[in-house]
Amino acid sequence: MRRFPVHVVGLLVLAGRASAQNEGADFFEKNVRPLLAQHCLACHSVASRPLMGGLRLDSREGVERGGSRGPAIVGGKPEASLLIRAVRQVDDKLRMPPTGKLKDAEIAILAQWVERGAPWGAAGTPPPAESQKFWSFIPPQEPRLPDVKNRAWVKSPLDAFLLAALEAKGLTPAPPADKRTLIRRATFDLTGLPPTPDDVRTFLDDRTPEAFSRVVDRLLASPRYGERWGRHWLDVARYADSNGLDENLVYKNAFRYRDYVVQTFNPDKPYDQFIPEQLAGDLLPGPGDLATSFERWTATGFLALGAKMLAEDDPVKMEMDIVDEQLDTAARAFMGLTVGCARCHDHKFDPIPTADYYSLAGIFKSSRTMENFKVVAKWHEYVLAPQEDRDRLQAHEDKIEAKKRESSRLVQAENAKLVAQARQAAGAYLLAAGDVERYDQVHLQPAPAGSGLAVRESGSFERGNISRPPQKGQRNIPVGQKGPFFAEYDFTVAAAGDYQIDVLEEEKGGGTADLWINGVLVKRGAEPIENRAASPDAGGWSVAGIFPLAAGKNILRLEHKNRFPYFEKFLVAPNPLPQGVPAPKTPAQLARQYGINPGFLEQWVDHLRRSKGAPHSVLYAWNVYGSGQSLAEWSSPAAKLFQDFRPANRQELAARYQDLFRESVRQWQALHPDREVAYEKEERYKKDEKEPGLPDAGLEALRQLLYEKFGPFRPPADSRQYFSAETRQELAKLEKEQKALEEATPEFPQAMGVREGDQIADLPIHIRGSHWTLGPVTPRRFLRVIAGENQPAIGNQESGRLQLAQWLTRKDHPLTSRVMVNRIWRWHFGRGIVPSPDNFGRLGEAPTNQPLLDWLSLRFIERGWSIKAMHRLVMLSSAYQMSTRYDGRAVEIDPENTLLWRMNRRRLEAEAIRDGIMAVAGDLDFTPGGSILTYKDRQYVSNTEKRGAPDYDRNIRAVYLPIVRSSMYEVFQAFDLPDSSMSNGDRDSTVVAPQALFMMNGSVVLKHTRKMAEGLLARTDLDDPGRIHHAYERALGRPAAPGEIDRALTFIAGVERAMENRKAEAAERRVFAWQSFCKALLASNEFIYLN
Amino acid sequence: MFLRTRREILAQASSGFGLMALAGLMAREGRAAPAPHFKPRVKNVIFCYMSGGVSHIDSFDPKPRLSKEAGQPMPVPIDRTMFNENGNIMPSPWEFKNYGQSGIPVSALFPHLGAVADDLAVIRSMTVKFMEHAQANNYYHSGSPLTGFPSLGAWVNYGLGTLNENLPGFVVLGSGEIPLGGINVFGSGFLPAVHQGSFLYPERDQPLENITPQEPDARQRKRLDFIAHADRDFLARADQDDQIETAIKNYETAYRMQSAVPELVDLRGESEATKKLYGLDSPNPGKAAYARQCLLARRLVERGVRFVELTVVPPKGLGGGNSWDQHTKLKEGHESNAFHVDQPIAGLIQDLKVRGLFQDTLVIWSGEFGRSPFVQGKDGRDHNPSGFSLWLAGGGIKGGTIFGATDEYGYRAVENVLTVYDLHATILHLLGLDHEKLTYRFGGRDFRLTDVHGQVIRGILA
Repeated sequence: MRRFPVHVVGLLVLAGRASAQNEGADFFEKNVRPLLAQHCLACHSVASRPLMGGLRLDSREGVERGGSRGPAIVGGKPEASLLIRAVRQVDDKLRMPPTGKLKDAEIAILAQWVERGAPWGAAGTPPPAESQKFWSFIPPQEPRLPDVKNRAWVKSPLDAFLLAALEAKGLTPAPPADKRTLIRRATFDLTGLPPTPDDVRTFLDDRTPEAFSRVVDRLLASPRYGERWGRHWLDVARYADSNGLDENLVYKNAFRYRDYVVQTFNPDKPYDQFIPEQLAGDLLPGPGDLATSFERWTATGFLALGAKMLAEDDPVKMEMDIVDEQLDTAARAFMGLTVGCARCHDHKFDPIPTADYYSLAGIFKSSRTMENFKVVAKWHEYVLAPQEDRDRLQAHEDKIEAKKRESSRLVQAENAKLVAQARQAAGAYLLAAGDVERYDQVHLQPAPAGSGLAVRESGSFERGNISRPPQKGQRNIPVGQKGPFFAEYDFTVAAAGDYQIDVLEEEKGGGTADLWINGVLVKRGAEPIENRAASPDAGGWSVAGIFPLAAGKNILRLEHKNRFPYFEKFLVAPNPLPQGVPAPKTPAQLARQYGINPGFLEQWVDHLRRSKGAPHSVLYAWNVYGSGQSLAEWSSPAAKLFQDFRPANRQELAARYQDLFRESVRQWQALHPDREVAYEKEERYKKDEKEPGLPDAGLEALRQLLYEKFGPFRPPADSRQYFSAETRQELAKLEKEQKALEEATPEFPQAMGVREGDQIADLPIHIRGSHWTLGPVTPRRFLRVIAGENQPAIGNQESGRLQLAQWLTRKDHPLTSRVMVNRIWRWHFGRGIVPSPDNFGRLGEAPTNQPLLDWLSLRFIERGWSIKAMHRLVMLSSAYQMSTRYDGRAVEIDPENTLLWRMNRRRLEAEAIRDGIMAVAGDLDFTPGGSILTYKDRQYVSNTEKRGAPDYDRNIRAVYLPIVRSSMYEVFQAFDLPDSSMSNGDRDSTVVAPQALFMMNGSVVLKHTRKMAEGLLARTDLDDPGRIHHAYERALGRPAAPGEIDRALTFIAGVERAMENRKAEAAERRVFAWQSFCKALLASNEFIYLN
Repeated sequence: MFLRTRREILAQASSGFGLMALAGLMAREGRAAPAPHFKPRVKNVIFCYMSGGVSHIDSFDPKPRLSKEAGQPMPVPIDRTMFNENGNIMPSPWEFKNYGQSGIPVSALFPHLGAVADDLAVIRSMTVKFMEHAQANNYYHSGSPLTGFPSLGAWVNYGLGTLNENLPGFVVLGSGEIPLGGINVFGSGFLPAVHQGSFLYPERDQPLENITPQEPDARQRKRLDFIAHADRDFLARADQDDQIETAIKNYETAYRMQSAVPELVDLRGESEATKKLYGLDSPNPGKAAYARQCLLARRLVERGVRFVELTVVPPKGLGGGNSWDQHTKLKEGHESNAFHVDQPIAGLIQDLKVRGLFQDTLVIWSGEFGRSPFVQGKDGRDHNPSGFSLWLAGGGIKGGTIFGATDEYGYRAVENVLTVYDLHATILHLLGLDHEKLTYRFGGRDFRLTDVHGQVIRGILA
């Protein structure tokens, strides 16, 4: 664990007081730290691996202690300071930075800094004194209840706060809403569903003063409540069922967190328990039973299910990005603060210095969200099973890992053998590659039509494991799941000799299979070309090659290891070349001829092609041989090894290369006897590591070609086919065992979640957010603007998540309670008292009525952080029960209704519209929880909205439909479901034409209005006006007016009449007409808006 | 909520209620009727987005030095790349040729674009801060690597408003494949949702979600009248609520869209010569599909759609929305991708000119970054964010220009180094918008497309 040196902390405190030191610190921060960060810290900081010269320049202590050459500076004496000498580059042995000299001005700054005694900087600006604090950082005080004129209106103290503000502006509150409006409002507010006609009737009939209170209690007790309010929290928790960003993997187990949230709201779990469970469920004490543990582990999914850049290739950055996401989400969700801004610089508007950011970041960094940070990284999941089962699972997974390691060791060892063998035959590779190139110059034409001696359709094979295409244009679909796939054709030719074989392909670039003739591989297949459908060439005949055939029966075999390419037919034609002209050989044939490996040969061909004519290449002599070009330009150190060598032919030159290559290998092995064991070891000594090479620069250059990571002697991608039969068998066996183990993995429910990290540590400040430039270490602690400077230390055995949760739920925390009551208010009134529910900082909007907010937040704490108590408090007020009546005078004074002189009219949210349609149609399925995703955990899900999208066409409540990041359900998107990449406590309610298109033509509407129409018609106890009445009551919570009934009947009759000339049965026409009416009813704005 | 005052509504209504209808009465727009800040040079933008990252050194930025030093290690230090399988210098497999009066060199990948080289302003010094697709795509569109920020097209519509009440103002054409980063790349972020990119899928039965009426027109008309009647009653009771007024109008707009969109995608009225010009007659399905996008782009700007973005049309099952991303097989991949887009885009430019639309339109061609001058693995190129090329053409653009330069290897921009913010500032400028004045207040802060950066690229302006 790294601790900040004590005397530096002392300095830091002093920096705030003494102005001279302050100036020095400023100078350092402004001028020196950026220079160190940019030019030095990559090699000279705590994060440097290796730490060059043992010198650290990321702390004052490090600078003073210095490195292997002694202290880096002598205070006040630039001339005597090693650091300055190094950057001035006055000494041959010590020239820094290695990438080039600093600018003169930069060197001058460093010298000036040393001159001034090398003052060090502060860990960040200190938070401001108490008196300058912003309102939201001061804990709420009990406000004085204001005096109001219209006392009769005050049902609850909260009314007094609102009324006082209204009266001050000369405004009066709107009259109460009628009972039908009120119950519709309350029912949607608490359950996201319309009231049933029975609910409305019961409420109308209850004329006692407690009637509405009873409605509220009934709704709060409904399981539908948690589905509605849980969803509000899921917005805040930026809940989704996939990762999003570039590697969009399925969070198959995210749904457990979602269900946990629903199940938390229903029994009214106190908010001061809800927070600790989400931040530190795994750390909470007692009771220790499994069910509680599972629930709490699941709760930490809150931290785990953010969007992550799983393909970030820098693991340190990936980890810090995840920490940042968690920190930002937690701060927004619980405190309404945008702490994320302080990652790179002190918060510009709120008193959150960068140091505080890294204090909090240390807490999350000391926790564990991920199993690894590889590309593509794997997140941690809790196994929801008893300990012995978890142990069993772990043991099983260890076994699988062991098998994988065993296979990979075997592959690496065999690769090493292949490579070592090939290196000895470098000359042969040169010759063969030269031949390939020469034969490439020979352009063969497909045989003229009718010249085929034998023509075979692709499906006419004698033996094979691909399907026979029943007709042209249909593919040879491999039968079975696993390759290799093959097809063998027997055909006869009269005489032995060379024959041309042509293939008719349906499309160019679709890849080809390996070609074997009479048991000999004659041509290796080509991989399909990506993007080939864009290729201008259509299919057609192409020449496979000219091959020797035996008299009589020959067997042509096509084989592919996993995807058999489609071809229509092949034909065998006479050798078109004149007598005496040798048939061009394929690389496969040449490999056979030279006794070398075809895989390496291809890599050699490719390498030669690309190094052609390059004078620095060690192969320059080979490349220009025979071209008449001189070797004068050859700039490789290898040139001197060929200086006096005059080869008589290619073979001699190749032999010379081979000898030298072998010599380089021999010397290398002698120099590093321990390094030739396995390929995996070689990897560590690839050339870009600073490992001493051979003393002879020429040989070293040759050796590097042989050992280059992407050089011609890298193991071929398909190297396995060249392994010995025994090894292949062994590998197959290992893989079979691995697969069997994988299939036998015991399955237990799992949940995404966070646990304590293996390393508990404080973090250094990351200058400008970069982990390459580290500043002083900051202790894990909370925001100093709230918690002050004197905070109890967090132990070095715990991350601090539990302490963070405890701090957040302290009664005197100025933000936690205010932020939550504001969220509750926002969902009842359409706008928060603080209109920016996620930002209580200076950039947020000021509360429209702070005494009201403070009064509510104190009540919230007083009533045991009960959210349901807050609903009752709010809903039983006069304010909540106001109508939305328009008041022209009030609009002039307060056009945005910030003072709440009336209730805000609100558009229903996406879920309420969709669920509402189904509920009205009698189609909604109330099965709670679970996942309908058919994907496996961690499976890729498309970023595209259409392909492979989950099946959203279910009648379960919308909260249980999956949310795929980057590919949201169309209905959700149309009606403003927020982007789930960020915590969001607010929603837009836009009015755009696609919403109208959805209501007019959308499949959800079509499907459920049909059901609704059928339901209405099945009501034999009702006549048509009765049915219309009933439909209005269900959809709009009110009876139809007489004029509306007439209009609806006319409309229905009109549609029915219009359909008479169609074939439909009368009954069907009637359903259609009623459905049309239902569609219209649900499309009316009265359904979508809440008065 | 209803932040807009009646006064504002009335002020806007005077500019024609229809105009307001599609734009919608946004809950939080809080801004008077949109208008340019100064006289615009163009009215519309067509953005041909080459996602995946086109190789600049193989298209518009020839580097002879790469051939001379083929196979040699890069002589300058190189940053880590996406895959870090960095090999040695790889020359361009394509020849370059100087085209037109301006003599702009264009590689053999783009012979048709070469033929219109005198109309192009080629920028060779673009840079981006991110070397990974999702972040770079977001950044290139919104100035931020994160999601949740408005896309360029959304800002343009927010700034200028629509010219066609029956079509969305920001249309993304495509086959359904979208750049990595997801559909948020075309999102409206914190701007009102009306400004988000609307996808049109020319190849699909329903080019726009829910656009196909499920019943005969007469019956639908009857139903809409019924709804309108009910809504008017509701509106009367709701005291002329403006949000509801808009919602009511939206049914009429949606109704008209049902015919406007099919009319738009119906190309039967286009002459054979025009279709041929774009390459619609190509037997290659990818090219024909991209040609259809280009032709539709012209039809969209003809109809007043402000911002049209074209996405790549990758072959079936391969490439996804990332088709220029040749980490392997650069030659095959770039050749087929270029074959796709070369003739259609050149055809678009010619067609715009013939129809007098060129002066009112800005055409942009770019990917999210370039590709490395050194080889990746065997035969690919990795991402190169430190210097790459794009071009612009159309009204206000000085055709036949080359602006900025990369170093001798095409690795880093060294002359007139530009950022995406500069490009965005320039695009807004051409549309008559001052990028420093086009702001939107969100979460208590005034946001800009260009954040605190951006300078108009004067060197390419006519």
